[in-house]
Amino acid sequence: MARTFQENRREFLRELGIGAAALPFILNLPGLGFANQSERKRRLVVMFSPNGVIPSAFWPDEEGSSFQLKESLKPLEPFKNKTLILHGLCDKLRGDGDNHMRGMGCLLTGIELFPGNIQGGSDTPAGWAKGISIDQEIRNHLQRGSSTRTRFGSLEFGVMVPDRADTWSRMVYAGPNKPIAPIDDPYQMFSKLYGRMKDRESLKSILDDLQEDLKKVRSAVGTDDRHLLDEHATFVREMEQELKEQKNETLDHPVPELESGVRHANEQMPKLSRMQIDLMVGAFAGDFARVATLQFTNSVGQARMKWVGVDESHHELSHHPDSNQKSQESLTKINKWYCEQLAYLAKRLAETPEPGGPGSLLDNTTIVWTNELGKGNSHTLDDIPFVLVGGGLGFSMGRSLKLKKIPHNRLLLALAHGMGHHIETFGNPDHCSGGALVL
Amino acid sequence: MPKLLAATMERPAWTRFPCRLVLALALGGMALAVVGSAKAADREKGSKTGEQIYRQMCVSCHGSNGEGTDDHFPRPLIGDRTLPRLTRYIAETMPEDDPGSCTGPDADKVAAYVYDAFYSKAAQAKHPMRPARIELSRLTVRQYRNALADLVGSFRWTPQWGDHRGLKGNYSAGRRGRRGGGGPGGDFERVDPEVRFHFGAESPIPAQNAVKEASRHYIPLPGLPVPLVLFRQFSQEYRVSWQGSVLAPETGEYEFVVRSENAVRLWVNDPNRPLIDQSVKSGNETEYRASIAMLGGRMYPIRLELARGKDDKTASMELLWRVPKHVLSTIPARALSVADSPRVYVPMSPFPPDDRSMGYERGTSISKEWEHATTDGAIETADYIAENLDELAGIREADSDADRDRKLRGFCAQFAERAFRRPLSEELRKLYIDRHFPGSTDRKAIAKKVVLLVLKSPRFLYREIGTGAPDAFDVASRLSFTIWDSIPDQALRDAAASGRLARREQVADQARRMVADLRARDKLRAFLLQWLRVDQGAEIAKDPKLFPGFDEAVISDLRDSLELALGEVLDSPSADFRTLLRSKALYLNGRLARFYGVELPPDAPFRKIEAAPGNRSGVLTHPYLLSSFAYTASSSPIHRGVFLMRSVLGRPLRPPPIAVAPLAADLHPGLTTRQRVELQTKPEACQSCHTMINHLGFALEHYDAIGRYRDREMNRPVDATGSYETRAGESVKFDGAATLAEFVAESEEAHNAVVQQLFHNLVKQPIRAFSRTELVDLRETFAAKGYNLRELMVEIATSSAMAPRKP
Repeated sequence: MARTFQENRREFLRELGIGAAALPFILNLPGLGFANQSERKRRLVVMFSPNGVIPSAFWPDEEGSSFQLKESLKPLEPFKNKTLILHGLCDKLRGDGDNHMRGMGCLLTGIELFPGNIQGGSDTPAGWAKGISIDQEIRNHLQRGSSTRTRFGSLEFGVMVPDRADTWSRMVYAGPNKPIAPIDDPYQMFSKLYGRMKDRESLKSILDDLQEDLKKVRSAVGTDDRHLLDEHATFVREMEQELKEQKNETLDHPVPELESGVRHANEQMPKLSRMQIDLMVGAFAGDFARVATLQFTNSVGQARMKWVGVDESHHELSHHPDSNQKSQESLTKINKWYCEQLAYLAKRLAETPEPGGPGSLLDNTTIVWTNELGKGNSHTLDDIPFVLVGGGLGFSMGRSLKLKKIPHNRLLLALAHGMGHHIETFGNPDHCSGGALVL
Repeated sequence: MPKLLAATMERPAWTRFPCRLVLALALGGMALAVVGSAKAADREKGSKTGEQIYRQMCVSCHGSNGEGTDDHFPRPLIGDRTLPRLTRYIAETMPEDDPGSCTGPDADKVAAYVYDAFYSKAAQAKHPMRPARIELSRLTVRQYRNALADLVGSFRWTPQWGDHRGLKGNYSAGRRGRRGGGGPGGDFERVDPEVRFHFGAESPIPAQNAVKEASRHYIPLPGLPVPLVLFRQFSQEYRVSWQGSVLAPETGEYEFVVRSENAVRLWVNDPNRPLIDQSVKSGNETEYRASIAMLGGRMYPIRLELARGKDDKTASMELLWRVPKHVLSTIPARALSVADSPRVYVPMSPFPPDDRSMGYERGTSISKEWEHATTDGAIETADYIAENLDELAGIREADSDADRDRKLRGFCAQFAERAFRRPLSEELRKLYIDRHFPGSTDRKAIAKKVVLLVLKSPRFLYREIGTGAPDAFDVASRLSFTIWDSIPDQALRDAAASGRLARREQVADQARRMVADLRARDKLRAFLLQWLRVDQGAEIAKDPKLFPGFDEAVISDLRDSLELALGEVLDSPSADFRTLLRSKALYLNGRLARFYGVELPPDAPFRKIEAAPGNRSGVLTHPYLLSSFAYTASSSPIHRGVFLMRSVLGRPLRPPPIAVAPLAADLHPGLTTRQRVELQTKPEACQSCHTMINHLGFALEHYDAIGRYRDREMNRPVDATGSYETRAGESVKFDGAATLAEFVAESEEAHNAVVQQLFHNLVKQPIRAFSRTELVDLRETFAAKGYNLRELMVEIATSSAMAPRKP
């Protein structure tokens, strides 16, 4: 993991170089992706919340385009005609690991876990997933094409993800045994997205002081040595000039302003969520990436949502039997809060115009909200929640579908196809028969 | 081979070329292969410009700009002759050793060049000639990186390498294990010299510890034993952690490799972020790799954890690394310490390489590329500091805003003072610190801005600003850069601030203290490798048919073996230069032993073999050196001779004017290596240089292409007789390596060479800029101190620290 950090840091610096040769990279803040304007940009967001749902408060009773949103999904009312609710998709992957682990590790990879040493509450111990996750598969496809390539390709956001790497806390995989950790610190994400611009600003702000002192130093050295400092002053002037020339280059979207000092703490979760969503919308507006994931806590996540009046922790509540009415209500509130985050993201995308094109970002973005379990107290991997919002993938929206125990691999395939990546199978091919789900 | 050719192409660095040799070369136009073609040579000379002729025939006595050279014409070539008179003078008397070889149009051209370039009054008015001086220099790349590491490190604590090699191993029974270790439960602790364990199915933890640990989790009924199931859990499930520090011998990218079938984690230089995190055991992988950049001569915190789970059938752990220029190997005890150490900041921004044209890295020129690199480096460092600001500035969670501001301001001021190596004047404090406060409530942003400005400042980037006698802070800074390639530490700053660097003894005391530091040892070690001309890492490849098994691993071991020999001398109290040349020992491990005539188990670690086979006499007979100064199949007396002349004896040699391929051995099947070399260099044009080169190299003819001893070659006894004529005209005869090494050990020329090279390596300014007698004085002190290399370092640091700068 540290290697990745080091390499990123180094790569970052290499690209950063303030020199003339490197300037195009700095100017490149708006992203690389405006080359091909004829084809519509398509974006995919996968949003995750844990511990299953309360089916009766989640799934619409009706099928088709005329349906009522239940309590958990009420926040989606403004986007109902842009929403597609898929009931009946099942995570069919078996093998090592308990259901929380497989629910998480196989959710986006569609393939089993390796045997390993992580022992869950039941079943055999397991390690990481055996394959790449669909978001990364799509990202790699987009990065290969010159008209779809962006600065980052994909961005992995998190909110209150525990600071440990295990099968329950990772859903994104760069490949077999290669989990990718989400960034759950908005400040860290900010500096990943806008750090270069800030550095350029700080650099600009010190140049006058620097020139002033160079003059003083020049007068203090012997006459034979002055040429060296003259040369130095020239280089500094050139840098100043180069930085000035970029003055008119501004971002094509306002840099998100983050409240400072928001700590990594349970009670800050609503703020952290908004900050991350704002950053994601900014990154899309600037075309930094076309794929993003947003992971709330982790599989078995333990958020305590005091702000919606729930004091108990999420995972513990999720084990309570259906007969416990109070817990059912609390869990519905929790899922509703997550749905509000989805709605906030949809709203922000809807009110942000698509740069260089008609419509809004939401018209070209599909958000997929999912979960590692169908239902918390049964730990079932059947009827995994998949709620889609937005027009990125060109699916026919405004519907509630009741599918018949279809392996979720077929939805993963549909996501790839919707993003223009036409693969035949994904993950374990045994669960791909019938091909991509037609939506 | 390309490497070897390149070595011979090196320009003579700082002394002159004996006239006789110049003449021969110049006369022939080329040293080799154009025998009997004097006309061609003339034609060639005839087409040259005055400057080219000057470079060819005059520069060795008169210097590249007519400034003169120490040994032969120590005066600037300026005067008041007219051009025609100067031309006539040259035609009649120059070059001194062979007047009449530069006449006619050549004399016209060279005289015109000399006249206009520096000789005439007009030329002098345009470009006044000055003697060598201490030039304003920027930090070299090595100095820049070390300075940043120490600048950040100065806000942390200073570790001690200590005498205990290996890592602290903490063994604890049970799934969770406990931190801290050594407690009353199932833990025990020991020092493990290396981490290379195959515990198998058994637990390394004694059964009674497992019982003890189990009983902590189970309250037994009186008289009843711990249930078997619990006992098994606590004997089969266990954790081991190894902790301490690792010493990086080189600067560069290291690869760490952990081999284990269990769950493992490895932290290197960052206790918060594992370099390798395999706490999730997944699939059948048993080897994990990760890379990290490290600066040489420093210790880094390291921790390794193994957890055997109940489903693991066996357990094992190996900790290996790949040091730059080496092959993968178990991290040896000598690179490990049980002592803890703080994190080290390792700046990684790439820099253009320093100028080494004078034989040492120096920073007397800058480029736009370099200027950009300093920006990248400043941003990288500012980011690191912002990331770790609370820790570095000592800001605590409970601090009030006022406290935080006060601490931040204090940190910024100290940062600037340490970077600039002197206290801030009021004016500079305003410019670098105060101007950026308050401004913003974002403390990280303020810190970044100050760090950026300080690290872009010429006061940080240049070695010394000002002229005349150095003040106490200049002295402190010169000492630290000379001995550590870095900024002064706390003790040195204190000494400077309290006026304890005024007298020579005070300066020498500080230098002596500093020479004991790991960083000083690293510099001396690096210098010796440079002196031996293997600092860039020799590219050695041998004929696999003749030397089967002589592969990369063996070459890497040979380098270790040489470094162990150098380290032994550097770490000994006498640190005697002559021991380097006289030692009859060789460090060998199992892999090397089979090549060099010693019986050792194949996996034996390095050990010192006293009176090693092969009549070894010190580093000149070390197989690493002998292999690198050799061809793939045969020895090369020429390369060995050139190395001895240039580096060991400090005699300048100019490159042969054309690259000459060695005579192929198979075209002369009846000849020994010595005979082939003699045949090839027989032409008179070659002889002037090769008489000396060959006869030094021949003394090492007992060693073949991989440095193995041989009595016979081509079924004939090896002739290892040789000779050398000293600068004083004394003729010395050798018979074999021992007599050569003994001569070198006591040779004033060799002592001069090592003193001068070490001076340049450490100080990075021409020795002539200090005092005319600097070299002689230092050599005499070197002799008086028993040729102690550390003392020589102290002496160089002391005398150069106090020298005034000419305006």
